[in-house]
Amino acid sequence: MATFPMTRAGAQRYDRAHTMPRIFVTGVGFITSIGNDRGTVLQSLRELRHGMLRYPPFDKPEVPVKVAAPVRGFAVDSSDPEDWTYPADYRLKREVLRSLCPNALYAYCAMQQAIRDARLEEGEVSNEETGLYAASGGSPAILGRLLNQMSQQGVMRCPPLGIVASIAGTVQFNLVAHFKIKGASCGFSSACASSSHALGFAFDDLKLGRQKRMFVVGAEDGNVETILPFAGMRALSLNPDPETASRPFDVARDGFVGTGGATVLVLETEDEVARRGVTPYCEVAGWGQASDGHNVAISHPEGHGLRLAMQRSLQSAGVSVGDVDYVNAHATSTPIGDVSEVKALRAVFGGDVSRVAVSSTKALTGHGLSLAGAMESGFCALALREGFTPGSAHISQLDPACSGMNIPRETQSIAPRVVLNNSSGFGGANVCLVFRRA
Amino acid sequence: MSDAVPSNEPTPTRSEVPAKAFSPEDETAMRESLKRCSAATVEAAVQFRRTRDPGLLPTIVLGVIERFVESELRPKLREGDDDLRLVEDLGVDSLTMMEIVMLVEEVLQMQTNNDELRNLRTVGDVKTFIDCKVRGLPLPKPTRFLPVEQVAAIMPIQPPFLFINEAQIGSAGAQGKYKITGQEFFLQGHFKDNPVLPASIMLEALGQLAVLFLLEGSQAEPGKRVDSSRILFTSCEGVRCHRICRPGDTLSLSVRPRRVKMPLATFEGSIRVGQEKAAVAEEITLTFAYVDETVGEVGQREDVAGLAARPRDVAGGQPPLAAASVAAS
Repeated sequence: MATFPMTRAGAQRYDRAHTMPRIFVTGVGFITSIGNDRGTVLQSLRELRHGMLRYPPFDKPEVPVKVAAPVRGFAVDSSDPEDWTYPADYRLKREVLRSLCPNALYAYCAMQQAIRDARLEEGEVSNEETGLYAASGGSPAILGRLLNQMSQQGVMRCPPLGIVASIAGTVQFNLVAHFKIKGASCGFSSACASSSHALGFAFDDLKLGRQKRMFVVGAEDGNVETILPFAGMRALSLNPDPETASRPFDVARDGFVGTGGATVLVLETEDEVARRGVTPYCEVAGWGQASDGHNVAISHPEGHGLRLAMQRSLQSAGVSVGDVDYVNAHATSTPIGDVSEVKALRAVFGGDVSRVAVSSTKALTGHGLSLAGAMESGFCALALREGFTPGSAHISQLDPACSGMNIPRETQSIAPRVVLNNSSGFGGANVCLVFRRA
Repeated sequence: MSDAVPSNEPTPTRSEVPAKAFSPEDETAMRESLKRCSAATVEAAVQFRRTRDPGLLPTIVLGVIERFVESELRPKLREGDDDLRLVEDLGVDSLTMMEIVMLVEEVLQMQTNNDELRNLRTVGDVKTFIDCKVRGLPLPKPTRFLPVEQVAAIMPIQPPFLFINEAQIGSAGAQGKYKITGQEFFLQGHFKDNPVLPASIMLEALGQLAVLFLLEGSQAEPGKRVDSSRILFTSCEGVRCHRICRPGDTLSLSVRPRRVKMPLATFEGSIRVGQEKAAVAEEITLTFAYVDETVGEVGQREDVAGLAARPRDVAGGQPPLAAASVAAS
C-alpha cells in the first residue's frame, strides 16, 4: 500500500498519477447545544452564543458538577421511546423509534437535514456507491437500564432491540437500515477523536474510488450517563456559572463541560459535485493521525502525537503552514490538554503561530466526545463557505502558556482559505483534518 | 417497570397455575404496561387477572397486537379476520412479534418459549395459541406450508385434475392458491372462444382443499389416519358465484371445518381473486374413513412434513420467529 508522499508537489503528482478525485463537503446537518439547524448554529458561531446551562439532573448536593450543554427541543429521558418528544419537523414511526437511543435520534434528524442540505434524491442516498461512517459512544443510559432489567426481571424480559439501541455502533446500525445505505458502513471508536477518524477514513474511501459519496456522523447522548463518569476522572469543570464554565485557553479553566447531539456531513467526489451541480461548502484536502504512546487518558505534555498528526495532515493535503489561516483546536478547557495542544501548535507553525488564528468552539458547545470531530468539521465548513473565523469565547485572562498566539476572542469576518480541525482521544489518539475553501 | 413488584417473587412458569392475588400495585403496573392499548383491552386484562376467564383472551390478545400495528393497518385487524397474516398483512416483523409476546406474557402471567412461537403466522394462530396456553391444553398442530410437490404427494387427486398449487394447513382450516393458466383442457370448450373457469371446478378446488385438510390438518383418533383412498364428495349447500374467473386469475381458496366426525366432514369454503369475492359454499360435506397407521407410515409421514417445511424457509416466507433467529445469528 502506498503511503502519502511527503511534499506538496509530491502529493499533487501522486494524486494525478493515481487519478484521485478531489473530495468536497456538500451538506451538513446539526442537532447541537448551540442550534438544531444550520442557520441557528451559524448565528451562534458568529455571535458567540453558548449552549451551557445549569443542568437540572446535576442539581443535587452530591453532584459537584453543575453545568452541561444539553440538546434543546428534545425530551428523551423516558425509558420508552414512544414517550419521547422532539421537534415537529421530524416524524418517526414506532418501528424506527424502538431501536433508537437519544443520540441515534439526534443523528436521524441531522441526517435528514444533511440530505436536504446536499439536495440528495432518495436514489442518491441509497445506492452501492454511497456509504456511512459514524461515531458514537453508544448509550450508557439505555445499556444500564437494559442490564438492570435483565438482572431484576429476567433475561427473557428485556426489550428485543435493547442491544441495538445501546451499544457503540447503534448510530450506524440504525441510520444504515433506516436510510437504506448500501455502500460501506462502519463505526469508529477512539473516544473524542472518533468522528474525526470517521471523516478521515471516509475521505480515504472516496479518494481510492471505493465510494462516491459518504455520510459522516458524530453523535452523543450528552446526558447524566455520558457526562458524569468523567467527574471521577476530574476532567469536568466544577464551575457552576454557565457563562464561564467552558473557557479553553483561559488561565482559570478547570475542566470541560459535557454536551451531546449529532452532526452529519455529506462528502462527495468532484465528479458527483459536478454531475449534480451543487455548490460545496469546502474541500476536504487531507488528514493525518498519530498517537502519543504515552498515557491512557492524559495528553502527551509536549503534544507529540498531535504535532505529528498535524504535520501528516498538511503533507496529505499538500499545503504548507503558511497556507493555514485558522485552526479549530481540540482544546476542551482542561488545564493539561489545552497547554499540550498549544505546544503542538507552536511546534508545527513555528513563527507562523502568531499569525494563524486558533480558537476552540468548545467554549460555546461544550465537549461532545465522539460527536466533537464531526461537529467541529461542520463548523469549519460553515466558516469556509460563509467567510468568517470563529472566536474563542469566555477568555477573560489568557493562559500565559498561550502568549504570542493569535487567539481571537470574537468571531472575525476574515475568510480563511485553509482550516485545520484537531481532535484527540483517549489512549493518545490524535487526528487532524484539513479543509480548503472550495 | 414498577418497583412495586418484588424481584424475588417467583415467576409463574405455567399459566394453569392458579392465579396469584392481584394486588393494587400489580394492577397499576399492568395499566402502565398497557397504557398504549385501548381502554377495552386494559379492562379485559384487569378482569382476566381477577377471574382468569378465557373468554376475555381474544380482546386482550387482539388489543395487544393492535397496539404494535401501525395505525393505518389497524382497521384491517378490527375486521376480525383470523386469516390475517402477521407479517404480510399487518407488517409485524419478527422483533415486533417478540414485543407482542412479551407484553401478552406479562399481562397474562404466562411464559412461552421460542419454539412454540415459530409457527404463529396468522392472527387466528396467535389467538388459538394463547387460548391453549391459558387453558393448559396441548398446542395445536402448527400451520404448515405445502408447495405443489408436497400437495401432489399427499393428494389422491392428481394433475391434470388437481386445482391446488400451494396450500397452508392450520388447525382452524386450510388456505390454498390456484392460478388459472389457460392450458386447462376443459377451457377449450368452456366456453367456445371464451375461456371461463367452470363453477363446478371452483367447487372441486374447494373440495380438494378440504380433502387436503382432512389428510394433513385434522386430528385423527390415536393410531389411525384418514384413508386417502376413501374420501368422497357427499353434498354441498349454499353455493353462490360472484365473479367470472379467467386465465391469469389466481384463486385464493379457503376452507374451515365445521364438523369432523367419521364418516362425515363438513366445511365452509370461499374463493377470492385478489380482494374480490369469487364464490362461497356454505357447506361442503365429504365422507371419509380411518385406517390403522403402521409404524413405517408414521416415519414416512413425518418425512413428508419435514420436507414440506423446508421450501417455505428457502422462499423467504418464514414465520416471524424463525426470521428472528436468522437475524440474530
